[in-house]
Amino acid sequence: MTRVVEVPAHFDDRSFDQFAAHFGAWPPEERVLIDARGTQWASPYGLVGLLTTGQALAEARRERPLLTVPASDDVKRYWTRIGFFAHAADLFEVHGKVPKAGHTGPSDSLLDVTPIRASEDIHEIVGKIQENAARILTSELGIEAKATMGFAMALSESCQNIVEHAGTSGWVAVQTYTFRRRLGRRVVVIAVSDAGVGFRRSLESTQARRFGDRWGDASALEAALIQNVSRFRDPGRGQGLAGIKRYLSRWQGKISIRSGTARLSIVPAWDEDVPLVDHLPFFPGAQVQVTIPAQHAES
Amino acid sequence: MVQTISLHRLLQEAVATPYRNLVTRATGAAVRGRIEASLAAGVGHTTLLDFSGVECLDMSCADEIVAKLLLAAANGDRVLVLAGVREEQREALEHVLAHHRLAVAACFRGLEAPDVLGWISGDARLVFADLRVGGPADLLTLADRLSWSVERAAVALDELTQHRIARRAAGVFHPVTLP
Repeated sequence: MTRVVEVPAHFDDRSFDQFAAHFGAWPPEERVLIDARGTQWASPYGLVGLLTTGQALAEARRERPLLTVPASDDVKRYWTRIGFFAHAADLFEVHGKVPKAGHTGPSDSLLDVTPIRASEDIHEIVGKIQENAARILTSELGIEAKATMGFAMALSESCQNIVEHAGTSGWVAVQTYTFRRRLGRRVVVIAVSDAGVGFRRSLESTQARRFGDRWGDASALEAALIQNVSRFRDPGRGQGLAGIKRYLSRWQGKISIRSGTARLSIVPAWDEDVPLVDHLPFFPGAQVQVTIPAQHAES
Repeated sequence: MVQTISLHRLLQEAVATPYRNLVTRATGAAVRGRIEASLAAGVGHTTLLDFSGVECLDMSCADEIVAKLLLAAANGDRVLVLAGVREEQREALEHVLAHHRLAVAACFRGLEAPDVLGWISGDARLVFADLRVGGPADLLTLADRLSWSVERAAVALDELTQHRIARRAAGVFHPVTLP
């Protein structure tokens, strides 16, 4: 038996729940076929989420999943350019013709899909991003040059949640694009995903008793993102997410974290998202999206 | 005597890469370990942490290095001062220092006047600036220079001495030694 999991045509943080619902009880018993043939567009969140699926199935010792590539040549080229297929080949049995990396033109992403396994990877990522971030943040988003370092800080802290808490490796990608549906402006998006223990299990030993019957994925996210709580007793811990929130508040940015069956967001005025969604279809680990909008409308 | 420690040099030793970014808690802990080894071997009463050559500083590294060294220094008589700080690094430093209710004197790149970072009142900042410009002073002189009540000046001086941003010797308050 094979369980077919369809990738939504427009695959982003919102449609991710629709994707997760296809898996049923986790981990699925059957072999999984990820069907991306009808996918017309995927955000960095969608792409790192797809790789997390492959990783989580491998770590659950399930049969290597199948992945059918998008039918659209443009979409395939973009997925190749951003480095998705290079990593997907290690996690999936890929079906369909994939363009060769050198034949798709240079990547226009701020940071291609990159694995995060250790602290050294974060040094590499922050080093790389600084070369491009200043130019793009100032020219495309109208954010002052000195805020570039805050952006690198937000990226570093987002990635560190994997190294410090996930108990496994993860993925990050950073891209700019025009956010037509909700904002009508350029945005820069950091997407980070891992297949690890998730916020609830990470915080359970120190926080579950405090929340009592309320304890679950949603309250674990509340403890981490709203109350800046960490599983470590070190009083200096828990400042990473607080620092990201502070940076985002200055630039009307948004942070959204999905873990297990809940998603919690700090929602700026331009977005109509709800702050907390609970009882979502389960998905392993944690998925973080940081969105910073252009400070002016596109002309 | 002032002992100067280059964070950029220690960073390169700790992570063995050409990057100039103080990021991640693991890196911060590794750099702090090297600083503590230098402090144990050194003889200076004042330690200058020199940020020259460092670009990005994240919260985790700021906490591991600056906050933890200041917390440790609170148990001894060592004074910690920051130098070569970039304006872009201010946010991470202010954030972690405020979190621990710590404060430190810092010299920023390209700026002549030193500043105080962290959990400190506006009055204490003004007193620090006055001591730097007007020179060491006793309580009455300082209150007079600022046209404040003696009580107000005393509270601000107490705050500065608790954070070791100023020290009292024979009734006279001296600002921390800066480069």
